[in-house]
Amino acid sequence: MAAVEANPRGIPKAPFVANVDEYQATETEATLKKFQEMIAKYKYMENNNLQRKKSLESKIPEIKKTLDMVNFLISKEDSDEPIQTQYELSDTLWATAKIKSTDTVNLWLGANVMLQYTTAEAKDLLISKLSAAKVSLTQVDEDLEFLREQITTMEVNTARVYNHDVKLRRLAKAQKQAAGGGDEEERD
Amino acid sequence: MTKMLREGEEADAEVTWEDQQNINAFSKLNGRLEALDEIYQEKKKEKEYLEDLTQELELADEDESVKYRIGDAYVSITLDEANERITAENSELSTELDGITSKMETINKEMAKLKAILYGKFGKSINLEK
Repeated sequence: MAAVEANPRGIPKAPFVANVDEYQATETEATLKKFQEMIAKYKYMENNNLQRKKSLESKIPEIKKTLDMVNFLISKEDSDEPIQTQYELSDTLWATAKIKSTDTVNLWLGANVMLQYTTAEAKDLLISKLSAAKVSLTQVDEDLEFLREQITTMEVNTARVYNHDVKLRRLAKAQKQAAGGGDEEERD
Repeated sequence: MTKMLREGEEADAEVTWEDQQNINAFSKLNGRLEALDEIYQEKKKEKEYLEDLTQELELADEDESVKYRIGDAYVSITLDEANERITAENSELSTELDGITSKMETINKEMAKLKAILYGKFGKSINLEK
């Protein structure tokens, strides 16, 4: 095997079994076990990435919503009329509020921190966060595709080594039968 | 998807690295197509909702404000403003839908090519249908 190739995020590429005989040099059982282990590792990484994907998929609409509101506030910045709004006070309770046009907003940054921004700054920040989240999402998708490919390769490897083993056993049995001339029942 | 050979079935054709890559590519494209289709259905539904909304608003009183949901709150805006927002959202959705459709077409074409190659070589020992 040559040096292990990897994808941009450092996930190693699965080796392809070109010559089954070569692999068969060692015990079939051991080879198959090794393959199973590799598949399990890839599946573990796949799981991690699926979770990341999920969290990104919920984060993106949230950022979009916030950005939507900031854009709306910017559009109303020069108006003297207060903005009439109904907002959620608790799960089943909505209250009405009049908001004077504003040029600052507070953004929740996480970790119990909220920071005041001008609407323009908030917009820039949200746009950059949104595009960063989208980039991460495409990367996660790429990784997932890559992982799936490696899993397929390993599964095909497994099948080929297994089939080769079956073939060898049959051959051995046939030879034994030919040698013994026995009328043993054929069994798989 | 790609079927493994069962015990007793003989692999008539030797699987080369190139074949393996073709199989992987096919499987990858299939996954992409499914993901795109899901997004497409979602966006299509959203667009239908927006169209219903436009019809609904045609009946609305022009002097009355509309409570429009922006983010997590409802904001009272004029009918004109509401219509503007809907039109903007609608056209954005249309471009997105067009983008998805063209992507799906390209994928379908590539998959058809790979199918021809793989079926040509492996015949019945491979199953590429859903």
